[in-house]
Amino acid sequence: MAYLQVENLQVNYGAIKAVQGVSFQVEKGEIVTLIGANGAGKTSIMNTVAGLIKPAGGSVIFDGKEITGHKAYNIVKSGLTLCPEGRKIFPRFTTYENLKMGGYTSSSEAVSRGIERAAELFPRLKERFDQVAGTLSGGEQQMLAVGRALMSEPKLLMLDEPSLGLAPIVVQELFECFTRINKDGTTILLVEQNASMALDISDRGYVVENGKINISGTGKELADNEKVKEAYLGGM
Amino acid sequence: MFFQQLFNGITIGATYSLVAVGFSIVYSVLELVNFAHGSFYVLAGYLILTMYSFMVLPYPIALLASLIVTSLFGAAMNKFLLEPIRKKTSSGESVMTATLGVSTFILNLIMVLYGSETKPFPNPMDLGKFYVGSVIMKWNQVIIAIAAIVMIIIMSMIIYKTKVGSGMRAIAQDVSAAKLMGVNTELVITFAFFSGILCAAIAGILVAMYYGSVDTTMYLGVSMKTFAASLLGGIGSLPGAALGGIIIGVLEAFVAGYVSADWKDCIAFVVLILVLLFRPSGLFGHKEIKKV
Repeated sequence: MAYLQVENLQVNYGAIKAVQGVSFQVEKGEIVTLIGANGAGKTSIMNTVAGLIKPAGGSVIFDGKEITGHKAYNIVKSGLTLCPEGRKIFPRFTTYENLKMGGYTSSSEAVSRGIERAAELFPRLKERFDQVAGTLSGGEQQMLAVGRALMSEPKLLMLDEPSLGLAPIVVQELFECFTRINKDGTTILLVEQNASMALDISDRGYVVENGKINISGTGKELADNEKVKEAYLGGM
Repeated sequence: MFFQQLFNGITIGATYSLVAVGFSIVYSVLELVNFAHGSFYVLAGYLILTMYSFMVLPYPIALLASLIVTSLFGAAMNKFLLEPIRKKTSSGESVMTATLGVSTFILNLIMVLYGSETKPFPNPMDLGKFYVGSVIMKWNQVIIAIAAIVMIIIMSMIIYKTKVGSGMRAIAQDVSAAKLMGVNTELVITFAFFSGILCAAIAGILVAMYYGSVDTTMYLGVSMKTFAASLLGGIGSLPGAALGGIIIGVLEAFVAGYVSADWKDCIAFVVLILVLLFRPSGLFGHKEIKKV
C-alpha cells in the first residue's frame, strides 16, 4: 500500500463527470506531479482528496487510513494539507495572522516553530509580517500560501498550481523551496500546468486528460515522452 | 436638556449597539441578512414572561433560561434549516428568505399564545434614581447601558482574541480556505448564530425592562434600527455596529427632545437613506473590491 493511494476516484458536478475513475499513488518522501490542460480535472482531484468535495465514487487511503469523503478539517488533522489553487490567502489578515491561521489545529509550540520556518524559507515574507496580506504581490502571496500550508506540519503537502500568474524568476525560487521542503521530509503532490518545471523536480508524474489518467512515469520519462512533449512542453 | 437627552440616547443606543453587534457577527461570517434576528429579541422577553409570571420561577433563573433557550433556538435554526439549504444551493437569497419565514413563525406563534396586545414586563430591580448636575439618571438606565457595553466587549474579545473567533473571521474572508486550515466551519457558523442571537436576546430583555412592557411590534422597530446602525457603521464591522447603535440612539433622543416624540422612530430611516446615498460603505466599512 502506497503512502497516498487514490483508487478509481470519481467526481461529479451535477450531471458533469469531472473526474472519471482516476487512480494514482504517492510514496513516502516522493514529489509526484499531476500535469494536464485546463479543465482536465486536476483541481477537482486535489479538492476531493483534501475533503472540500465529496467524491461520487472510489477511495482515498492516506498513511494506511481510509479518508474518502472525510471533512476537510479532519483531513488536515491526519497530516494532509492542501495549498489551494489561486492561493486563497485571507486578504484582510496580516501575513502573520495568515500564518497563525494555518496552525489552527496545531499546538502553540508548533505555531512558533512554523512561523520561524516560514521566515527562514521565505525571508521576504518576514519583512511583510505586519502587512495586510491582500496588499502583497502575487509571488509573496504564493509564498505565504505555502508557508501557511506548512504551519500544520503536514506529512503530505498538496500544491495546486503554485506557479499560476507568477514571474519565471519567482517560480524558480518557489520550486527550489519545494525541493527543500521535500528534502526536509515532507512528501509532495503537485499539480502544474508549467509541466517542464514540475517534471524537473518530480520523482514521478501522471498526465490527466478529460478526467482520466492516460500516461504515467518518472519525471524524466514523461519529459522525454513524445506525446507529453507535444501537448504540454511546447514541443521542445 | 442637552445632557439629559444625551444620557437617555446613549442608554437606549447601547442596546441598539448590542443587537447590531449580534446581527453583524452573523452577517460578517455568512454575508447573511438575518431577518429573524429581531424576532429572537422579542422572543427572549416573552420567554421571561412565561417562566417568571406564569411558571413562577425565580427571576434570575427565568432570565438565564430565557437567554439559553433563545440562543439555542437561533443555533438550531442554523443547524437544521439554514445549513441544509446552504448545502443544496449557493443562493444566499434562499437562506435569507428562510430567515424571514422563521421570524414570521416566531412572531405569529407569540401572537397565538399571548395575543397581540402589549404585555407588562416584570422588572424586579427598580432601584430609583440619582442626579448628576441637572441630569436625572435612573439606576435601571445605568445598569442597562453597562450590561450592553460589557456584553459588546465580551463579544469583541471572543471575535478578536479566541480561536473560534479567528475561525469566524477566516470564514468571513474565504470559507473553503478556512476549511483547509482545519476550521470546522459548520460548527463555527452555528456558534456565530448562538452568540449573535444571544446579543439580541440580552438586548431584548434589557429594553423590555427599560420600557416595562413587551409586544410583537417591537420587531419592526428594532430590525430597522439594527439595519440603520449596521449600515451606518459599515455592514459587517463590529466596532461600526456598536458606534452606529449609539449614534442612532442619541439622534433619536435629540429628535424626541427637541422636535417631537412622534418623529423619534423616523430618524433611523433618515439615517439609513442618507448613508445609502452618500456613504454606502458606512463609517468603518471596508470598500468592497470584487475581483472578476
